[in-house]
Amino acid sequence: MSLESPESNEETLTHNVEFELNGSPERHCVPTSATVLDLLRNSCGKQGVRASCERSVCGACTVLVDDLPVAACSTFAFDVDGARVETVEGLAAQDGTLSAQQQAFRECGGFQCGFCTSGMLMLTTALLRQNPQPEREQIREWVSSNTCRCTGYEMILESVERAAELAGAKQQDQVSE
Amino acid sequence: MTGFVNPRTPDDEPIVGRDRPRLDSTMKVTGRAVYTVDIEKPGMLHAKVLRSPYAHARILSIDASAARSLAGVTAVVTREEIIGLHSYGTYVKDQPIVATESVRYVGDVVAAVAAVDERTAFAALDLIRVEYEQLPAVFDVRAAMEPSAPAIFPDQPFAAYPEYGDGASGAAHTAHNVSYEFRYETGEESVWADCDYIFEDTFTFSRMNHMHLEPFATVAEATANEIEVWTSTQSPFPMRKELARVFGLPENDIRVNVPLLGGGFGAKNGPKTEAIAIRLSQLSAGRPVRYCMSTEEVFLTLSQHDAILTVKSGLKADGEFMARQSRVLLNGGAYADASPLVAEKAGYRMPGAYRWKRIDSVCQAVITNSVPAGAYRGFGATQATWASERQVDLIAERLGFDPLELRLKNTKELGEEFVPGETPIDSDLKHGLILVADAIGYRDRTRLSNRGMGVAIGIKDGGGVNKPAQARVKVTTNGDVFLNCALVEMGQGGHSALCQIVAETLGCDPKRVRYAAIDTDNTPFDQGTNASSGIAVMGHAVRQAAERVKCSVLDTAAEHLMLDRQSIRLDDWTIVDAEGTTYELPPLIMERFGGTGFEFTADGYYKARSASSAPLEAPCIFWEIGWAAAEVEVDPETGRVELLQLVVSGDAGKVVNKLGCRGQDEGAAVFGLAQALFEELRYDDGELLNGEALLYRVPLAEDIPRRFSSITQEQGHGAGPFGTKGMGEGGMLPIAPAIAQAIADATGAQLTSLPMTPERVYNGIRAARVRHGGADGNA
Repeated sequence: MSLESPESNEETLTHNVEFELNGSPERHCVPTSATVLDLLRNSCGKQGVRASCERSVCGACTVLVDDLPVAACSTFAFDVDGARVETVEGLAAQDGTLSAQQQAFRECGGFQCGFCTSGMLMLTTALLRQNPQPEREQIREWVSSNTCRCTGYEMILESVERAAELAGAKQQDQVSE
Repeated sequence: MTGFVNPRTPDDEPIVGRDRPRLDSTMKVTGRAVYTVDIEKPGMLHAKVLRSPYAHARILSIDASAARSLAGVTAVVTREEIIGLHSYGTYVKDQPIVATESVRYVGDVVAAVAAVDERTAFAALDLIRVEYEQLPAVFDVRAAMEPSAPAIFPDQPFAAYPEYGDGASGAAHTAHNVSYEFRYETGEESVWADCDYIFEDTFTFSRMNHMHLEPFATVAEATANEIEVWTSTQSPFPMRKELARVFGLPENDIRVNVPLLGGGFGAKNGPKTEAIAIRLSQLSAGRPVRYCMSTEEVFLTLSQHDAILTVKSGLKADGEFMARQSRVLLNGGAYADASPLVAEKAGYRMPGAYRWKRIDSVCQAVITNSVPAGAYRGFGATQATWASERQVDLIAERLGFDPLELRLKNTKELGEEFVPGETPIDSDLKHGLILVADAIGYRDRTRLSNRGMGVAIGIKDGGGVNKPAQARVKVTTNGDVFLNCALVEMGQGGHSALCQIVAETLGCDPKRVRYAAIDTDNTPFDQGTNASSGIAVMGHAVRQAAERVKCSVLDTAAEHLMLDRQSIRLDDWTIVDAEGTTYELPPLIMERFGGTGFEFTADGYYKARSASSAPLEAPCIFWEIGWAAAEVEVDPETGRVELLQLVVSGDAGKVVNKLGCRGQDEGAAVFGLAQALFEELRYDDGELLNGEALLYRVPLAEDIPRRFSSITQEQGHGAGPFGTKGMGEGGMLPIAPAIAQAIADATGAQLTSLPMTPERVYNGIRAARVRHGGADGNA
């Protein structure tokens, strides 16, 4: 925000937050009431992190904190002090090459309006780190923590399966190299 | 799981890129897609609104002086600040920017504040003092129509509505608290006398929120003389027109920019956040004002129409349908919004997919003290299909017909007229019914206890009425293409599909086509992104523009190369002559035009012809059909329904993008599934109990049956370019009735209300036992 609110004349408690964002160090002074969503969207310019219900229900704002998916809207910024935070902006390689998850969601049509997509991709990233070859049932369970209003989910489930396949193939390539 | 079925495969080549990912896929999977909520302007202010705590009350006084003098507040809008400005609404102009004499529902906007940040705006709202005198409120449509019910609009608001054609009529304010009434009639009343059976049943339809993930949001920069908005709307030009009317400005002083939408489903038509943001900006010396609603506010802004539908159908002893009468009451909520249009369509679509000799429909939109209802995916057809299809199943049970056979006997044939003056049916409806029935094994199943199957069909006139669509295609010297038209991308894949139509016409890779940003100063005119009209209406304008560009390129090349115009063709920005010799266009263009080259530009236009013989002013562009078949297992002890199988099918006519078509049908089907089983805005004496994300249950991945599939048919009879038809709404229509019949088939419970909760199913099972003389009926 470009101007200070009148309440900032009163003492607004602030806090320094240092964390790693998509592999790079970040340091911001934020109000203690700031959420990770505020921090990432407003202070770090990560607009790929979407705000929707802001009640920790829909999962549109899902980001990874130390590999675990969390609702950025309902996590205090000070909670990520010292943590490793990942957003959708960190998935593709520097040269723009899409990650396995991104490729899979593209290929399988795992998105429509795109508003849930960042969250779904981060959820997929976390799942595949925990289990590189998840069964359909586990995928359903994980995807059920986020809301998509457009697709009817089947194409998202297929996207996650395809992401596992692509990530597996990539790893095989690396091994055989 | 998905499948493609072509009973009559069109001969022409597949459309370029139809197997490939959508063109907006990369920006959406990288998080780079820009929505209205992402728009930021230097010095931007933030708006918040004060909402009514009462369902109906007279406003005695508003004291906003403390809010106005709070540091950081730039403007406050109350009824004092909107004097002279007009109210808005589709046909009935009844909704003011903020409440004037009275508030009409819990959540009605009373005042709005712009401040340097949202926190200050909230603090200012707390300082506004409003004195109300509570008035009696009414929430039930039947109660609202009683003469003793409070008049929600004591003075009738301004209304304008269409002339209509043969058999149809409409009028505003026809009864107490009725905002609009639509009637349609065809055939002789005497048909009833020839019926062997007449059944009358009443059905109720529930009300859902759209729950688009991107809330209503607008950034406005406005002075008394000029307005610019960036806003999340499905209809940029109708928005410009409405804002011009509300603010009394010429349309060329208003500019509407529309980024990507994070879902719409019908909700984002007509002013929501726009007028408030504009007025606040005008009062803040033209500084940009952002008004982004919270999800809780979205719940208080618009919903689907709940409805009571009474259907009387007459038939011959052999099951031949003869006559149908319907009386539909839609709960329009406190302001008319799109209710008149929804009433029109709900009434008109009551015949369903069947042949009747006599049709008589009346649909009334009733004003109540609840959240306004408006456009919602399916648009009246969802309500109509629920009652129409449910009654077919009730009749089948009463007369001992198989529900599928009774449907097949009465379903209209391909090419048969829907009603006189209307477009003939352009899909093989029976083919689709059998297709979905067979996909779940309906006809050769073994009966298992507590398991049942149902099949249903939904039909709606697609493509909208009075939709002139324009498009522009521009190609640079190097063959890079712009498509410029006002179809809003809200998830349906319209931008990608239209770019593919351009690519197909120009013979280039779809990746070379960019969909230009939409702003009403520069984008060609269009009536709005609704009625599944993107491909079948705008597609024509786009194709014509691309054809015209191609002609102009070929004319130029033929003249320049001194070749016979008829013997050359365009392929990948290269001219190919009769012998197969190729001529690259960029050097040719540079040679001819010099300097920085040239840009080939052409416009396209399409509008369906109006006809006074067509009931709704013009024959519809196409028929949007949804077929579905469902299998359920019901626990008779608890009434819990498990959906074992769900198959949905639509007819794309011709597929432009496979993933897009599939996604539209499956997404629509899941809206239907949720409406069938659990999703609902719950009220207690008018108070909304679940108006927030945590309490409002939308479908999750775990709610989707393990056997869920869609079948995209390509029957090839569509009136759109390449034989296409529209998609996106049809898949929602048949789901609830198919599931309802599956429940009836499994348990005998014939439900007439949505959603079919365990409680309703349990009670339905008990009622069925009584009906069938079961011993434990009174247990």
